Amino acid sequence: MRSRYDVLVVGGGHAGAEAAAAAARAGVRTLLISPDLSRIGQMSCNPAIGGVAKGVVAREVDALGGVMGQATDASRIQFRMLNRSKGPAVWGPRAQCDRSMYPTVVRRVLDSLPMLDLFQEMVADLLVDSGRVVGVRTRGGLEFVSECIVITTGTFLRGRIHVGGEAGVEAGRAGEAPSVELAEGLDRLGLEVARFKTGTPPRVDGRTVDYGKTERQDGDALAYRFAAYAQEVVPDQLPCWITYSGDGLKDVVTRNLQRSALYGGEIAGRGPRYCPSIEDKIVRFPDAPRHQIFLEPEGLNTSELYVNGLSTSLPAEVQLEFMRTIPGLEDVVMTKVGYAIEYDYFPPHQLNHSLELRKHPGLFLAGQINGTTGYEEAAGQGIVAGINAAMRVRNEGPFVLERDQAYIGVLIDDLVTRGVDEPYRLFTSRAEFRLLLRQDNAPRRLGALARDRGLLTGAQSEALNRRIAEEDRIMVWFGETSLGPRDVAGMLEDVGSSPIHQKMRAVELLKRPRVSARSLIGLAEEPPEGELADEILAAVEVELKYAGYVERERARAERLRGQAAFLLPDDLPYMEFVTVSWEAREKLSTVRPGSLAQAGRIPGVSPADLQNLMLEVRKLRAGA
Amino acid sequence: MTMDVDTIVSLSTPPGEGALAVVRLSGPLARSVLAGIVGGESAVPDVRCPALRRLVDPESGELIDEAIVTRYEGPGSYTGEDMVELSCHGGWLISEMVVDACARAGARRAERGEFTRRAYLHGKLDLVQAEAIADLIHARSRAMHRAAVVQMERGLSRRVSALRERLVHLEALLAHHVDFPEEDEPPVPLKRVIAAATDMVEDLDVLLATAPEGELLREGALVVFAGRPNAGKSSLYNALIGEERAIVTEEPGTTRDALEAVAQMGGFPFRLVDTAGLRDPSGRIEEMGIEIARGYLGRADAILYCIPADEEPSREDVEFLSKGASAPIILVRTKSDLDERPEASVRKTGGEVAVSGIDRLVGHVRVSVETGSGLDELPQRLPELVYRSIVTAEPDVPVLTRARQSRTLRVARVEVDAFREGLESGLPAEVAATHLRSAESALEELLGTVSVDDVLDVVFREFCIGK
Repeated sequence: MRSRYDVLVVGGGHAGAEAAAAAARAGVRTLLISPDLSRIGQMSCNPAIGGVAKGVVAREVDALGGVMGQATDASRIQFRMLNRSKGPAVWGPRAQCDRSMYPTVVRRVLDSLPMLDLFQEMVADLLVDSGRVVGVRTRGGLEFVSECIVITTGTFLRGRIHVGGEAGVEAGRAGEAPSVELAEGLDRLGLEVARFKTGTPPRVDGRTVDYGKTERQDGDALAYRFAAYAQEVVPDQLPCWITYSGDGLKDVVTRNLQRSALYGGEIAGRGPRYCPSIEDKIVRFPDAPRHQIFLEPEGLNTSELYVNGLSTSLPAEVQLEFMRTIPGLEDVVMTKVGYAIEYDYFPPHQLNHSLELRKHPGLFLAGQINGTTGYEEAAGQGIVAGINAAMRVRNEGPFVLERDQAYIGVLIDDLVTRGVDEPYRLFTSRAEFRLLLRQDNAPRRLGALARDRGLLTGAQSEALNRRIAEEDRIMVWFGETSLGPRDVAGMLEDVGSSPIHQKMRAVELLKRPRVSARSLIGLAEEPPEGELADEILAAVEVELKYAGYVERERARAERLRGQAAFLLPDDLPYMEFVTVSWEAREKLSTVRPGSLAQAGRIPGVSPADLQNLMLEVRKLRAGA
Repeated sequence: MTMDVDTIVSLSTPPGEGALAVVRLSGPLARSVLAGIVGGESAVPDVRCPALRRLVDPESGELIDEAIVTRYEGPGSYTGEDMVELSCHGGWLISEMVVDACARAGARRAERGEFTRRAYLHGKLDLVQAEAIADLIHARSRAMHRAAVVQMERGLSRRVSALRERLVHLEALLAHHVDFPEEDEPPVPLKRVIAAATDMVEDLDVLLATAPEGELLREGALVVFAGRPNAGKSSLYNALIGEERAIVTEEPGTTRDALEAVAQMGGFPFRLVDTAGLRDPSGRIEEMGIEIARGYLGRADAILYCIPADEEPSREDVEFLSKGASAPIILVRTKSDLDERPEASVRKTGGEVAVSGIDRLVGHVRVSVETGSGLDELPQRLPELVYRSIVTAEPDVPVLTRARQSRTLRVARVEVDAFREGLESGLPAEVAATHLRSAESALEELLGTVSVDDVLDVVFREFCIGK
């Protein structure tokens, strides 16, 4: 067996799988080590990929050549485009997935990569040689040597599971051992460490649900695909079911609140506000008459349901009691108990934008270990860490996505610059350029970047080139084609738009509200040749329709690029900059931003501070 | 934390002879500098307990003066640092000796404005307040003083912060709408969002309304006296500054070519310029004078055009009144005592007819420097004319006194209005919201601070999120 690799990836969740695959696609010898190879790409919580902003990230991972899009398409059992009633800039593709099928697809993709090996073992320690990390040692005593190591251990570092008000059980996930030795090994590197908590709801047997008392929610009948470069076979579609908790549940939860690990004082770590436990919802919003609950299918070959909205750390018998107060669940049988989990994470201001530890070059961290939640957030970090590990091996510069290039760029910059005070999740409101960061243009935004760095397989590059060429062809058609007043009179009237009196270019007509690309093509004398894929047309439509606003955002991004070009050396004596406010000086010393633009994003650094910082740096340069 | 910052000292009252002079110290060494000039630690008084102390030379121990010493501890002080105030006897020499003693005991002489800058850096003041303190110190009229006091008390800052909070709130509504589509709560109706934006534009307009005139408060509005020779300009000029002699300051050096005086009328600051002083009958100089007079007339905020009450407006007068300048004009019929003789009444009527219908002519005043009649009317009419928006504003509306303030607020107004217009014309909310972000950064620029209050905090506070 080989014991020396270019890149080692520790952990096989969504971050680890993407990191390993990305490094292997980049052409460097890679090994993924995980305690259980049958669980690579496991969905530990909600059996779904995507959503608002998160769906865009899944598309970005895919556009960079990643695994997530393909695995989602091949295992999805319900698809919905969230926010479809709103503008296309905030559409969020979301798929329920078959929990058992998703990991098998991930495994299939990994197995197809010639540069990637897998090995099943728990990593027990890091090999350190005069302060530098040079490899890992497994529990069984095997040693693997590498200059570049990506650690993606999720919730496993000193994981502790809580069900009810007892002290908790050491575990990385329900039924799996936590990773304590590795946590100690990382401690010895002198890293700053902190605790977060998150939770998961109970699962139930779908055969014991009275669906008549719930609302059925079907998926959207759209031929949408997450994967831009591969065509997977999409399975049959299943519905979800919606029901509501009421006063009965409130009573049970209130009566048992002290038995909750969260409220009994057992858990110190902070949990996510956007994914509160049912205890939190009842306590924080006592006046809410009801709370929405989604019953989501776990797969095609099981009747098990995931009870979304009931994350909890109450004892098992209380979980059953409160579920049975809910319409449709009066006789429900519980198959898995919900729980809260506490785990170590490493405050991410210790990383630079390539997700490499500043104090330990060659050691990368990705996923929940950096204080995030969500499969997509993990995958986005994983692929960037894997690419950068490979770039390091290849002696190339870091691969950094900017905030105006990708949600992944927003995510990583937020982590590195602003830090986290609760498990971090993406929202569109975190992105200042959300009109640019859409699900429809992910291949156009990121595909070429990945291709030019040699991160796509041959087949992926070809698919990308075809797609861009097709989009370009249709955009040119809209720019060059004109329609006459009579061609469009009826259509304009139908959508409530004022008539035109002379010929007008299709691109101008498309900018009017409610005028669609498809309708203009239908009315033109010479429509573009061939079959036009919905997906391509949708991307072109958004790009042209909101061109003015998209341009405005681009211009703003360019202006900020000016600030990004004002580089700040790592060793600036921030505490001596007496014209900069105290708070800002302290923050700047901790974060040590790479550019003026990054400095401006640090909370507590005001526009005036930024101005003075620039003057101080100039003064320093002039004096030097 | 404050180790790398030095301790500063300066005289805080105007230099010169006076009963008292105040010397201030600020910085981490304030206490030890004080100990050095009061003869040791044991003589340092308690915090906020003023005490009489002998100030001595830190090296020789020689007595310099006796002073009331007050100590403040950071962050509860003006600058946010440890501070000392020394009230010593006035005079050129004593205060300089005290400052020098402090400097030799470990302090550095402060640069101009450094105390206020430190207060800003420690978050004790925002930018608007820091500017207000400068305005307060330089205030030459009651109106400027009032505007500065309101600002120092965070009048404008509070309003701007409140506006920013409303923007964040609007963004939060949209964020909830966009980021959490599967929640059980219905989205906020678009109409309410539009109404909120409209309200905000109106509130910004109220603030902006004071801007052009508020900026005049700092320098004083320029009032130019014009008219033919012997129209009574100079007498009127002298009479007006004579009325307020106590607070008139002649400003030698500001302009050598025109007679300019600063006067307060009705509590508002004015710069009065008599173009009569420019008229010299000897050729070249007269030409230059006319050039300068034109310059003043072009920049004037108001013009007092003088015609004797017993004369009919000449063609020259009418021509000037109709196209001579763009500022509003008050027609002043001077020497009204002459006109009160009955035989003048016919001519008076004729004059009124000749100048009626001229747009810029906004008022008509009859004065007699001789009898004093009508002289109290101008100090009343001028503020109403030049400072109308401030005179008529609600008493609690802060006045914008700086171009920076009105520029940033105007940007915010344009952006919020574009947001409203976008929503009304069917633009998707998340697209229109780009305007809200621009508006927000304009307000942050104005305050010079960034609030930690962020959009997602509002969302999580106000909505039960939980799918």
